[in-house]
Amino acid sequence: MATIAPPRTPTVFKRPQSTTGFWSWITTVDHKKIAILYGYTAFSFFIIGGVEALLLRIQLAGPDGTFLTAAQYNGLFTTHAVTMIFLFVMPMASAFFNYLLPLMLGARDVAFPRMNAVSYWIFLFGGIFIYSSIIFGTNPAPVGGNLPGGALDASPLGSIPGGGWFLYAPNSGPQFSPGTSIDYAVLGLQILGVASLISSVNFIVTIFNMRTKGMRLLRMPVFVWMTMIVAFLLLFSLPIIAIALFMLTTDRQFGTVFFEAASGGDPILWQNLFWLFGHPEVYVLILPAMGIVSEVLPVFSRKPLFGYPAIVFAGGAIAFLGFGVWAHHMLASDIPTVAQAAFGLSTMTIAIPTGIKIFNWIATIWGGRIRLTTPMLFSLGFVALFVIGGLSGVTHAVVPSDWQQTDTYYIVAHLHYVLFGGAIFGLFSGIYYWFPKLTGRMYNERLGQIHFGLMFFGMNLTFGPMHWLGLQGMVRRTWVYSADTGLGPWNLVVTIGSFVIATSILVFMFNWTWSKRKGEIAPNDPWDARTLEWTIPSPTPEYNFGVKPTVTVLDDFWHQKYDEDDEGRAVRRPEADELVDQLIEANGNPETEIRLPAPSYFPIIAGFGMMLLAYGIIYHTRPWGIPLIVIGILMLVSSLLGWGGEPVEEVHEDAGVDPTDPESDTEVVNPDPESAPPELVGVDDR
Amino acid sequence: MTDIAHDDLDEAAGEHDSHGHHESTGVDNRKLGMWFFLSSEFLFFGTLITNYLIFKGRDFGPGSIYPVEFYDIPFTSISSFVLLMSSLTMVLAHAALARGDQNQTRTWLAATAMLGLVFVSGQFFEFTEFVLEGLKLSSNPAASAFYLLTGFHGIHVVVGVVLLLSLWGKSVRQPEGLSPEQGLNVELVGLYWHFVDIIWIVIFVVVYLIQ
Amino acid sequence: MTQAAQVHHPTTKDYIRIAVVLGVLTAFEIALFYVEGAVGEDMPGWVFPLALISLSAIKFVMVVAYFMHLRYEKPMLSRVFSIGAVLALSLFLIVLAISGRIAISG
Repeated sequence: MATIAPPRTPTVFKRPQSTTGFWSWITTVDHKKIAILYGYTAFSFFIIGGVEALLLRIQLAGPDGTFLTAAQYNGLFTTHAVTMIFLFVMPMASAFFNYLLPLMLGARDVAFPRMNAVSYWIFLFGGIFIYSSIIFGTNPAPVGGNLPGGALDASPLGSIPGGGWFLYAPNSGPQFSPGTSIDYAVLGLQILGVASLISSVNFIVTIFNMRTKGMRLLRMPVFVWMTMIVAFLLLFSLPIIAIALFMLTTDRQFGTVFFEAASGGDPILWQNLFWLFGHPEVYVLILPAMGIVSEVLPVFSRKPLFGYPAIVFAGGAIAFLGFGVWAHHMLASDIPTVAQAAFGLSTMTIAIPTGIKIFNWIATIWGGRIRLTTPMLFSLGFVALFVIGGLSGVTHAVVPSDWQQTDTYYIVAHLHYVLFGGAIFGLFSGIYYWFPKLTGRMYNERLGQIHFGLMFFGMNLTFGPMHWLGLQGMVRRTWVYSADTGLGPWNLVVTIGSFVIATSILVFMFNWTWSKRKGEIAPNDPWDARTLEWTIPSPTPEYNFGVKPTVTVLDDFWHQKYDEDDEGRAVRRPEADELVDQLIEANGNPETEIRLPAPSYFPIIAGFGMMLLAYGIIYHTRPWGIPLIVIGILMLVSSLLGWGGEPVEEVHEDAGVDPTDPESDTEVVNPDPESAPPELVGVDDR
Repeated sequence: MTDIAHDDLDEAAGEHDSHGHHESTGVDNRKLGMWFFLSSEFLFFGTLITNYLIFKGRDFGPGSIYPVEFYDIPFTSISSFVLLMSSLTMVLAHAALARGDQNQTRTWLAATAMLGLVFVSGQFFEFTEFVLEGLKLSSNPAASAFYLLTGFHGIHVVVGVVLLLSLWGKSVRQPEGLSPEQGLNVELVGLYWHFVDIIWIVIFVVVYLIQ
Repeated sequence: MTQAAQVHHPTTKDYIRIAVVLGVLTAFEIALFYVEGAVGEDMPGWVFPLALISLSAIKFVMVVAYFMHLRYEKPMLSRVFSIGAVLALSLFLIVLAISGRIAISG
């Protein structure tokens, strides 16, 4: 185990040395470590967002709830949405992108490893920034609430940003939201946007340029395709919201009146700009899950994915059409009738590519030898629930029908069927599917199935009744309803459902924590899979591939293991097991020198500088505001210059060593902690 | 996207593995990233221009003032011309480096940065004049949109000048001039610089000249 | 990666010629502005905006094609670049239409 950390070339500061422990995580540029950071951070935010949802449901469990104040309710539903969208689903998808993209493409890392780290740190500090509003923000109580309008709501959580995740102006403007809470949401979203923009460029270039030999575009796994489409969507929609948020910032901070109708501003402009971003964003949330499902279904049906090109092009079509439907979020606003008709129509066309995908997935399962493992169950749940959510979505495309439904719980039901039943089921499917890859161990199958059962039941109990609550006229974003509406009983059911979901998440957390340490050691290729990440040891060595793979067909790995019999059925070759073991053995024992991206302190400094800058903008009228802005900018610029002076790659001295023997309990057997395999120790350290 | 799937992306797949990197398009990672970034900048400036067009000439009540009443077309024409010529000096810097002529590279980089500074100073002067004459950032949305658009463009120019000066500094400090690696940086900064120029080409016509 | 393309790159003289053309086009634009000020009343409203936009489009394409070397690059880069341009143009024309402001009505 001759693992001598190479002396790093010093630049301005001493270069980071640690390969394990706290500092190795701070300075890492390894896509797998960054993925793990993304994953744990996103999951923490998922817990926070979930607790917020539970608080909302307690308030609404019965008529005339008194559990929350109006300001707390506003803040909680806003941060619930912001958290789930920007701090959970997107970064969790980003965790998958980070971990899997290089592995599926046969690469050592992403195209810009340090920019990747910058994205993570900016995202983390952006999330912290938004939530710091609880401590630093001020939020006058909304008019019509239980406190006199304009009085400061000093209750705990009273100062989290309200105003909805869409921050509709002028409601989010200085006149109607005079406190600083909204500023935290506005600038926080701006920060998160920067992080996403950086990673979208990174992922696109990775996919275009880092493919291994023979990995033509139409041989890439569907998950990689969906990643690319998501990255394109973000690349072209984020600049729009950046400007919109900047305009809102100048409205709030520097006296402009872009969105104030009374002074000649244009509230509809905000809606246009927001939804120009917001609708592509919806596909940003769902496409990664579609990619995961497209990987999981064929593996557990033991069949190729039906209509691979159709699924790929349908994904592209969804993205393309997704840019042309934004105004269906504004059908109830003052836009011309022609535009309403046009956008209703364009919205309906999205059902076509989506339907293509659904039929392809069903055809993939059809006639397959199905194994109902936890990832498969979640993927099947995804398909079922997404169909329901998709169908209720089409009903919004009918303009008069939308007028009836808009701003009611019917919309809440729809969006949770596609985002909870869709995106989150897809993500859990992926978490279980790649759990052995990440940890080298198997999760507990029985607990996984209990998780699925509870979550599927709880999800339908929670969001199913919202359909009819909405059609009965229950209005969204309203903190109380009166008893004579008769909405009480179903609301109680919804609240019970939400606690069932919470229970299922506890089961998951237990399963994760337990299996990560005590689960069975995962066999090589535990799922009989099709993609390149299963040709290397689990957990993944720091250098990914000991031998750079070459692919010749789609699902190359599968074709190495399987042949067709006379009737066209897949038959496992007799030598398949031996081949898998050989491949994994070879990939765990690299023979040539490997160059890996060099770790750096600067990404975290850049991220922190960004956060200071945002504080400075909020408090620019205070004496310490401008200095904060200056310090923030200096940290950003100096870290950019600093990393310009660092070497991009350094030699990885582990070549020839097998650092990840899946049989060993690595943390114990390795005598020298400095030389321990980074992934394993790191994962367990957390 | 579908077009891309078929030809040149795949043509090169695998062929470039030999020279140490893993390109499959044959275009350097950073250069490809720069093109994608610039492509997304269209949406950035598109939003700003749209914003201006929506508010331009809208009625803001009695006594409302519009940016168009303050324009000094001869002055802006000259600064537009300066920025246009800075694109020429930029491309000359890049061409000189491609010939291996470090002296000329240095000169043209400095010239480009200087022309950029002249443009920014002109804009600063213009803003100051406008504010003194009564058109403030918060006068009305049309004025705000004007300042936001031209201001963001100006910030882009400033960033470009900083990048140019840092390249120029490197080429002065290193006796052998810019290395091939840094040569790519000249190309990247050049792309960025020309992009800022074409955005101004659009702004100059859409915001200043069309009445 | 540009060595192969470098062979038929424009020379310094070509670049200067292109810059001269760009300068002349700019002069035309400015001239049009003043001509419109003088005789604009007698012409249909779309003439001058259309002329100005065409001129700037030519300048735009020339800078992109020659100064940014897009003509000499792989076609993929042109597509990458045009996706953003075309998307921005179409989206914002629709926004202007929704907002009751057709883009070039002036």
